[in-house]
Amino acid sequence: MHISMNELKAALRRCFESVGYFVGNYEDAANMILWLEKHGLAGLSELERALPYIEADSEKPHVSVVYEDSISATIDCHNRSALNSIAAAVDLAQAKALKSGISTITVHNCHNRKFVLKALTDCGRRGISVAAYWRNGSNSITEHTVAIGSGDRYPSYIESETDLVGEDADRRSLTILCSSRINLAASLQAPVDHATLVNFSPRAIEANKKRSIDRGIEINPDLWKRINQIGTGILVANSERSRADAGGK
Amino acid sequence: MSTSVAIETALRGDRALDLRPANQVMNLERLGAMHQNRLSFMRTLVRHLMREQWDIAPRKMELDKDGYGTVIYRIDAPHGRFDFVIFSNFLSSESRNDRVIATEWDITMALVEGEIDDLYLERLRQNVPKQEAGRVDSRVFVLSRANRSARNFDYVVDQLARGQQPEIDRIAKVGYLYRTTAVYGSGKLGMADWEKVATKFPDFARPFTAEMFVCFMLRSFSLFQAEHIAKARSPETFQPMKSEIKRYFGIGNSTGLGMAPYLLNHPQLISRWVEMRELGLARVRKFGIIDNHIRSRFSELLKRSIEHTKETTTEDQRQTHSNHVMVAELEQLERQFAPSFADWEELIQWTEQQCSLQTQELLVSLLLELYPDLVDNLENYQRTDEALDLDPTMPLAELKSLIECVYQWALAIDFSAEGARETCWYRSEEKMEPRLGSIANEEAKDKQMALGVGYAVQKCYQQINIYLEEHPDHSTARFMVAQPKLRGIVRRIQAMSKGVYGDIQANLLDRNVLPMHLLRCKLAFFGVSKFDPRSRLWVRNTMFQGAPLLEEIGQPFSDDWFMPLAPKV
Repeated sequence: MHISMNELKAALRRCFESVGYFVGNYEDAANMILWLEKHGLAGLSELERALPYIEADSEKPHVSVVYEDSISATIDCHNRSALNSIAAAVDLAQAKALKSGISTITVHNCHNRKFVLKALTDCGRRGISVAAYWRNGSNSITEHTVAIGSGDRYPSYIESETDLVGEDADRRSLTILCSSRINLAASLQAPVDHATLVNFSPRAIEANKKRSIDRGIEINPDLWKRINQIGTGILVANSERSRADAGGK
Repeated sequence: MSTSVAIETALRGDRALDLRPANQVMNLERLGAMHQNRLSFMRTLVRHLMREQWDIAPRKMELDKDGYGTVIYRIDAPHGRFDFVIFSNFLSSESRNDRVIATEWDITMALVEGEIDDLYLERLRQNVPKQEAGRVDSRVFVLSRANRSARNFDYVVDQLARGQQPEIDRIAKVGYLYRTTAVYGSGKLGMADWEKVATKFPDFARPFTAEMFVCFMLRSFSLFQAEHIAKARSPETFQPMKSEIKRYFGIGNSTGLGMAPYLLNHPQLISRWVEMRELGLARVRKFGIIDNHIRSRFSELLKRSIEHTKETTTEDQRQTHSNHVMVAELEQLERQFAPSFADWEELIQWTEQQCSLQTQELLVSLLLELYPDLVDNLENYQRTDEALDLDPTMPLAELKSLIECVYQWALAIDFSAEGARETCWYRSEEKMEPRLGSIANEEAKDKQMALGVGYAVQKCYQQINIYLEEHPDHSTARFMVAQPKLRGIVRRIQAMSKGVYGDIQANLLDRNVLPMHLLRCKLAFFGVSKFDPRSRLWVRNTMFQGAPLLEEIGQPFSDDWFMPLAPKV
């Protein structure tokens, strides 16, 4: 079914607020998903993968800094979704890059890492160049890389299938390179063990966005129903007393 | 005089004009005392309609003798073609309900990109009358509905059918035939997002222009429909309404609590609108020449404002009292200054020392009204980027200083005082309608909306102080890792501190908070008048009263319908 970008954002905000995301965090989560979807990068598919687990995150420890120096840090997300954990890592990358010229942030135990794209794109918009890399999968390993130049509005994003044998930890790790002094670009090297699945240039991502602005978003009705159903958790039951709180006749 | 760089230079920095300070302007009670002015969105829209000669005419008019049926207006604006569709259906008086939870209305409407064919019209017919229960696509960019002011409507039709004009005294009490109860845009129900409207439809790219246009068209249709029914009823005796009486009809609006959260959820936009109004005022104070023409015009507008307020009817005691006080103060202003005054500072200071907020803010509107050359182009700068961006690089110590400077008002509130945190804003399961309750309602308290900005700032400030004792050199980014719960308020503080005016300065959790102030503030920016509060939570008002008529597009236009008076016929 067809919905608008604003409807999707509002419904996602309610959904994440309902499962206990903090103020600021539920807006971020909604924006991350919407950003992917409106730029043609399958944000809703990623959300479908994340949905069964989003309520469990409130029980997990908050993001912690395992190691830190002036140009690098290692972050543990304690198996949270990137939706409620990755923003802090990107913030740290940006702050260190501005101070030291370049920074490397390694993130461990983070799910749904693709949602990092919006935060990285925002860095580019603010004049910080970023590149990031991660792997996913157990039997079949996929590689993901994204990069954006300083001052650019859209990133590039590449995803490919490989013959690599993955470590379990790889499935939840992510490396972010950030610089205020050099422009970082990323492409996956092309050995024989690698087949590109998707390769989005900044121009293609921009074109997708323009289409979404013009036409809105297509969403599976069942997914739409689920998002809204979860979101009803923020609504207060109706009653005569409650009707009086609206003040109308 | 105005590029966006010039605007920014005038707002802040070495060459900034003298703007009224934030602690004065952003006071909630003062915002709630605002009046319409020439930068209000309705005024801006009408200037463009008239001066750009928008070509607006019905291309489908299928109404039965009782005014029920389908109408399509074709709109040729400078940059695009649009269709405005109206469905008029029978509604019994028992079913008529102005609340957002209503399910039927006298009229439902949609503004659509391009020309619609019969197939698309049928899709609209299946959905537009259902409003929130229907769906539309991204060709639609405004959806609305309206109910008749039944007694007024029937009276006007009777009079016209008998060949008589509606009595002015009667219209002065209820100056409209229809009331809107919601005007939706910005992606609701599947329609076009604001991003599409802002980038693809330059004619509607200023905030709420499309929504105001729909209300203007509703007004036009309401007048047409009344005449249509009267003529069908008694073709031999029917007389059309005189133009000066038609102009006195506006559109009623019923606005409730649903509008209030908007001001807190779009703080940068609200702050921008305030900036433009205050910049207009600052230009007038600095550059406004006072000659005989201006003195004469000021005197005329002052008299008109007095008369307009005397003609305003409301049953709300507080508003009635405020109106009486304002009339008395304006009459005193007239006696004291109208003969001669040297500069505007004299009057402004006098009102600030002697007068109520409503009078002070009316003077602001009057001053803006006098100088179109200094003010009107600010209508092009009402939009802003609404990204509440976190600055992770800001040293935490600097964030602390920022709060002390910009949010002094929040730090000064005693949240431990009796009733200081008694109110909670929540959403009902009934159409997600915003409501205002007490924390005594446990469920409402647990699910309350995050509108208590002052309280959140104070709590954040306390946490920053504790953290800084251990980590004095840490950045905001590092603090965010330790305190993820504060992400929302930290970025709001940082983002809002970049503007001149920042957040609305009020404790919205207080037991005695008056949401009416928020509603009136936004409605004043829209351009409404004749505020008629029905409780502390909802208000009736009138839109486009005194505005030119649709059929007057193409004729001489003076842009002088501020504070319109009842016609003398």
